[in-house]
Amino acid sequence: MNSLFNNKKVVALLVLPGLCVMLFAIAAPLVISVIFSFVKWAGFGKIRFIGFGNYARLIKDEVFWRSLINVLALILVTVFIQNVFAFFIASMMTKLSGGLSRVLRTIYFIPATLSLVVVTRLWVNIFHPDYGVLNKILRLIGAGDAAKAWLGNPDTALWAVIWIMIWQGFGWALLFFYGGLMTVPKELEEAAIVDGANRGQLYMHVVLPYMMPVVQSIVIIDVISSMKQMEMAYLSTEGGPGNTTQFIALYLYQRAFKYSEYGYGNAISVLFVIIAVGLTLVIQRMFRKSVDQI
Amino acid sequence: MNGMMERKPMIAQKNYVHEMVTLRIFATILLVSIAIAQIFPFVWIFSYSIKKSGDLFGPELLSFPGNPQWGNYYKAFFDGKIPLYLSNTLKIVIPSVAFATILPFMLAYACTRMEWKLKKLVWLLVVVGMTIPIHTTLLPNFIWYRTFRLLDTHLGLIISNVAFSMSFNTIVFSGLLAGIPRSMEEAAFIEGAGYSVILPKIIAPMATTGFVTVGVQTFLSHWNEFIMANTFLSTELKRTLPFSIILFSGQYVSDYAVQFACMTLVALPPLVLYFILSKWILAGVTAGAIKG
Repeated sequence: MNSLFNNKKVVALLVLPGLCVMLFAIAAPLVISVIFSFVKWAGFGKIRFIGFGNYARLIKDEVFWRSLINVLALILVTVFIQNVFAFFIASMMTKLSGGLSRVLRTIYFIPATLSLVVVTRLWVNIFHPDYGVLNKILRLIGAGDAAKAWLGNPDTALWAVIWIMIWQGFGWALLFFYGGLMTVPKELEEAAIVDGANRGQLYMHVVLPYMMPVVQSIVIIDVISSMKQMEMAYLSTEGGPGNTTQFIALYLYQRAFKYSEYGYGNAISVLFVIIAVGLTLVIQRMFRKSVDQI
Repeated sequence: MNGMMERKPMIAQKNYVHEMVTLRIFATILLVSIAIAQIFPFVWIFSYSIKKSGDLFGPELLSFPGNPQWGNYYKAFFDGKIPLYLSNTLKIVIPSVAFATILPFMLAYACTRMEWKLKKLVWLLVVVGMTIPIHTTLLPNFIWYRTFRLLDTHLGLIISNVAFSMSFNTIVFSGLLAGIPRSMEEAAFIEGAGYSVILPKIIAPMATTGFVTVGVQTFLSHWNEFIMANTFLSTELKRTLPFSIILFSGQYVSDYAVQFACMTLVALPPLVLYFILSKWILAGVTAGAIKG
């Protein structure tokens, strides 16, 4: 029987295809990225080795730090606003009849099924200063003074872009929380109510602790996917106005392909990987502590 | 004393039932209004898609024109090259979803149920792989994929799509596979079945929810893929569906209404598919939260 779970040939056949794809399309490019982060190259012509020159420049690059702060803002909005709202809606949903709740879930998840290009263009048009529906609503209710070019104004652009991102992500968060809430045993809730717990206590001390593993995976998915966001900014503002909507992934892309600074783009890319992996590890560790405490 | 003890929960329960009714009414009103707000943009887009471009600038919020301009759709469909771009998207998404489902299933099986030397190391790679953003390969792949002539090809996108789905999907599958008792394989093995029978005929059916979850989430993410297509596909004939819309937001900037028709057309196939499969899709995503 030993040979059944030990068969080396079978292991190789099962592991190698997937592993090779990952090594070929993820690991190898990362190694190349590290190598090219030490050069100055426009993408054509002469390649010049400059040691840590790109990294030294990166540390002083204000746009890079701004793009990092924007990513952090996106993470915070996703975790503390989108998630709290999604949790609230999901818990209300568990109080509705099965049929209505299914119809509502189907509607709430629509944006998640659309291509992000459709979603982005949709909101670019809603935010459009002339014919956009947002400004039309404002004018209709007599708040015409507040009408503006939402994506073109440095004060509002970042929040408008973040809004587009969380609008598409909302359906995911909602379904994840709904799935988590459905696993909480009814008896547990009833017991807490009989013991005289009010609704706030019920959620803080019974439901949330029970769902902690689900919350943990949602937050980690949020952090990872927030780090990866750039397409919507690319398609709506291209990082502007004045780099106010710059995100790391977008910035490295623009440095390489718009400004032909291939080496510098790779240096941003390498630091980006380190930050992404590091941040995920830190959050995982934070959760492990909080789970241990409970 | 005894009576007192019994009364308190009774009152609590009565209040609770009363509260539940109020809560249900409040929840229904709130959630239905949010749903309406959610649908409104799509109705708005549709109303614009059948107008004349010059009529978009009126002050009214939502109106449907007396003479709908269905010609906008004709223009969007053919000038937007929708048939070509849609078939390109399918050529990428169908194989990439198939491989991104089967390969992680195999890898997860080996990692959870078999014993081998480098298991821990491979598992570490899988876990770390999940945190690596696809964008960090955009620049190096310009060199790396060029060496293999994968740069301007659908195959290159398929490989990257599969690679970046491996980690998450392997983790979902391994959560499911770990729970199956080993006697399943052992019984089949005694009857003379090899792995070529055991995996597809015995283990895979036990992981059906995993295939639904993984299949749905992978389809949505590959369907959504834009930045690699935008970076690597330089030949216009090879481009994917999103480029229809981009064509109209650049080339025909003045023709706003056609852009709206194009958005409606591009959004339609996934929407129809979604409504047909919504039961499975919602179940797949919901289950993903618990296992992920």
